[in-house]
Amino acid sequence: MIQIQNLKKSFRTEEVETLALNNVNLKVEEGEFVAIMGPSGCGKSTLLNIIGMLDNPTEGSYNFAGHEVAGLKESQRTQLRKGNLGFVFQSFNLIDELTVFENVELPLIYLKMSKSERKEKVMAVLERMKIAHRRNHFPQQLSGGQQQRVAISRAVVTNPKLILADEPTGNLDSKNGIEVMNLLTELNQEGTTIVMVTHSDRDSHYAHRVVNLFDGQIVTESQNRAIGATV
Amino acid sequence: MIKNYFKIAWRNLLKNKGYSIINVGGLALGMAVTLIIGLWIYDELTYNNYYGNKDKIAQVFQSQTFNGQTGTGPAIPLPLEPALRDGYADYFKHIMMSSWTQDSYIKYKESNISRPGNYMQPIAPEFLNLEILKGEKEGLREINSIMLSESTANALFGDEDPIGKVVKISNQYDLMVTSVYKDIPFNNAFHDTDYIIPWDNYVARWEWIRESLDNWGNNSFQLFVQIADNTTFENVTNAIIDVKKNADEEVEEFNPRIFLLPMEDWHLRSNFENGKQVGGRIKYVWLFAIIGFFVLILACINFMNLSTARSEKRAKEVGIRKSIGSQKGQLVYQFLSESFLVVLFAFVVAVLIVLLSLNGFNELARKEISFPWQNANFWLISLGFVLFTALLAGSYPALYLSSFRPVEVLKGTFQTGKYSGLPRKILVVLQFTVSVAFIIGTFIVMQQINHAKNRPVGYEKEGLIQIPTFAEEFSGKTDLMRNEFIKSGAVIEMATSSSPTTRIWSNRSGFTWEGKPEGFQEDLAWTEVSSEYAKTLNLKIVEGRDFSREFASDSLGVLINETAKRYLGMENPVGKFLKDSDEEDPNPPLKIIGVVEDMIAQSPYEPVKQGVYVYDREDNFSYYNLRLNPNKSASQNIAIIERVFKQHFPDIPFQYEFVDEEYGEKFAAEERIGSLSGIFTALAILISCLGLFGLTSFVAEQRTKEIGVRKVLGATVFNVWNMLSKDFLKLVIISCFIAVPIAYYVMNGWLQEYPYRVILKWWIFALAMLGAMGITLLTVSFQAIRAAKQNPVKSLRTE
Ligand SMILES: Nc1ncnc2c1ncn2[C@@H]1O[C@H](COP(=O)(O)OP(=O)(O)OP(=O)(O)O)[C@@H](O)[C@H]1O
Ligand SMILES: [Mg+2]
Repeated sequence: MIQIQNLKKSFRTEEVETLALNNVNLKVEEGEFVAIMGPSGCGKSTLLNIIGMLDNPTEGSYNFAGHEVAGLKESQRTQLRKGNLGFVFQSFNLIDELTVFENVELPLIYLKMSKSERKEKVMAVLERMKIAHRRNHFPQQLSGGQQQRVAISRAVVTNPKLILADEPTGNLDSKNGIEVMNLLTELNQEGTTIVMVTHSDRDSHYAHRVVNLFDGQIVTESQNRAIGATV
Repeated sequence: MIKNYFKIAWRNLLKNKGYSIINVGGLALGMAVTLIIGLWIYDELTYNNYYGNKDKIAQVFQSQTFNGQTGTGPAIPLPLEPALRDGYADYFKHIMMSSWTQDSYIKYKESNISRPGNYMQPIAPEFLNLEILKGEKEGLREINSIMLSESTANALFGDEDPIGKVVKISNQYDLMVTSVYKDIPFNNAFHDTDYIIPWDNYVARWEWIRESLDNWGNNSFQLFVQIADNTTFENVTNAIIDVKKNADEEVEEFNPRIFLLPMEDWHLRSNFENGKQVGGRIKYVWLFAIIGFFVLILACINFMNLSTARSEKRAKEVGIRKSIGSQKGQLVYQFLSESFLVVLFAFVVAVLIVLLSLNGFNELARKEISFPWQNANFWLISLGFVLFTALLAGSYPALYLSSFRPVEVLKGTFQTGKYSGLPRKILVVLQFTVSVAFIIGTFIVMQQINHAKNRPVGYEKEGLIQIPTFAEEFSGKTDLMRNEFIKSGAVIEMATSSSPTTRIWSNRSGFTWEGKPEGFQEDLAWTEVSSEYAKTLNLKIVEGRDFSREFASDSLGVLINETAKRYLGMENPVGKFLKDSDEEDPNPPLKIIGVVEDMIAQSPYEPVKQGVYVYDREDNFSYYNLRLNPNKSASQNIAIIERVFKQHFPDIPFQYEFVDEEYGEKFAAEERIGSLSGIFTALAILISCLGLFGLTSFVAEQRTKEIGVRKVLGATVFNVWNMLSKDFLKLVIISCFIAVPIAYYVMNGWLQEYPYRVILKWWIFALAMLGAMGITLLTVSFQAIRAAKQNPVKSLRTE
């Protein structure tokens, strides 16, 4: 599903040029659950953003489901992303002015889905994430764990092929963190590919495979278990 | 403490340069407009302040009623003067007869110039408060004397001493310069009086004036008075109101009423409608006062909106200050001093803008306004104005900001809430209501001017010039000059006329004709012309025929216009007679030989007046009218005409006017108002847009994270632009719906003053609305698209 070759990403600020990713090669199969780990500043988020087509690589090739992504224009990337990808962030990134329901509904609106269809899908996913009773609340009226469940709802409501999660448990206590990891595992077992950045060894054990980044380069890859195996 | 406040204020200004420029720039622009309008209004209200006795001086006015229509004006008959002097002496300190201000040639040695001036009674120097620079104060005692303004004396004499020198007036009469007075400042009545000649000279020179000495029916003169110290204008008016009516039974039927118009009212309230004083220029003073006020409000709204909008970014500062012990009052004080600093800064910029634009403004508004550096009142008022603006603009942000609760702000649960933007929205609606109303108003003024401009004038005004012929030398030379001009090749036809083509100088009554209704009080515009008048002007003959040199009897012929035909009630006017109604000493009857198309000689906004064109038997003409040769350029033609003119009249300065330019002058007042309000409207819109621009960038900034999230979720640039623009567009649409009825009501009222007026069409309003929306979209889009294009990765990183 994802094939990355000789990928480089550098950031140019006024004086310094930071090489955030250097010669990264990575392959992710459909249905895999991959964890990316490494020290702070090693380029994890950068890699995830590129995989998520939020950003363009400086050099190298990135093939997503048969499409070359590197060098695409923003509008083309948006087009390719639509409905295929779901994002979960450490800081939830819910829109404060919208209710839980409206937040989850948003990606469906951009897919130009009809109102009744949207309602059905949103309610289904909220039920599943056990947050439906809070659908008319605003994000700030929820606990962190609840907010992250809303964020995951929003990420999966379009039935994406790939979910990208950047430290999804980073702002949560261990009970809520485990709950979120269980949800992700469940989704993975239903066939969704997941790429997750994490600092937590516990979380990395939910993945099939762990990729270790150091200074913008992949240093080790370790296999936890085969696809389809349970913890 | 205050130093600390100013320091923070200053740093804040520097830190947010974009906001500061919009804030200070918008406010400065608004203040500059208000300042300029303020100076203009001050100038209007201090008109005639040169005259120390302003509150005691008046002009004698008269109302008369013809066929139920009451006309009012300053023209009075000669016998009124002795009647007032003899019968009402106690009421007056001074009584002064005056001619109209008229141009005359003044010649000394080689220099011959044309200047406006008056014939006045000897009290004039005292009455007009003249400052005598050279010569004697009582310069009008001798009948052959003349007083000159300083500028005129300089133009004529240069370094020579003018006193005792002899100048020639109208190339005819010798007068001795007795004194030179300082020019009366521009902003006053008689500011264009460059010479004063004794009234008795005027009377002695003209037979028709002497004949009018006991004629209550010839209203051709002006009378000014200064009332006695112990009385009021009302008292005097009450005493003299019927003086003419009681004096002469022949004029009784017109119900003449004599009254005083105080000097205070000459400039601003000199319009009369059916005998009632109905204001005048004062309405423009009000108009501009309202515009100035609104423009300032617009600028203040910007300031308020941007400050409160930005305040959310300063919530943290407020929280910290409160948590370390700042009182709410201190915070209010802090924000007010910040706003004072900004306003003061804006005021300095505004003064600069005013200084830079004052010349252009003076030209446009025909003013001689100077910046009142030395006027202490001005600075006091300005300080008040700055304080007022600072309070107006700063109080809302100050109160709003200081009411933040520190716990919420610092814990991060601080929420601006769904309705925190509501006051801001209301202010934006108010701004755009004003702007849209201004747009519509300006549109309609321009339309009305164009409407009147496009009205057919009835003759061909292009390629026509007029040459004033106010001197005696021109008599008896009309045919000669016509031949000479045509022979020169510069002119294809020429005719004389007793008034310029674009004016009516004379009106007559006292006629009878077949079928005249009993008691009908006629009033006809009267122009004396030479044979080729209609040909020269390309004035169409619609019935009968033009004057012709082949019929000697045409010297008693008359052409009437179409309105006159209806007015006189004649089915077939050609061949009918206009007879003199004075049975004892009648002028010969005039035979109507033709009817000409109506031509606009007076206001282009009013119906054409009934008029007659009489053959000029006695050389009463005042102008040559020349139809230029269309095959040569105007400048070539003029050069040739000047040469021919100089050959025959070497002593007379060659002056000429293009008739179409003279006609254009009729629109000058409206055009001036139109272009001024156009400029102010443009500035009002600019200020509103500046505010909107600032507000959009603020909203875009505030919603950066949201925009980022939306883009991650699949929103396109268009989606985001749409989301940001829609909110503002909605506000502007609401403004339109408020502004349209108000503008309609006001402008419809304005148009009622013009009998010939444009019909208000719905599309004017639609266009204004579309325009406002277009401008809004343009302003908003710039920021919206910029925000929409931002990489979401960046905006989400700023967490
Ligand atoms: N927009 C940017 N401009 C400049 N440098 C950047 C930018 N984004 C990332 N970097 C730099 O690239 C490097 C990798 O950053 P990245 O955010 O990918 O780290 P990370 O592995 O996610 O760290 P963390 O675990 O702390 O989130 C860092 O050195 C960072 O400073
Ligand atoms: Mg990171």
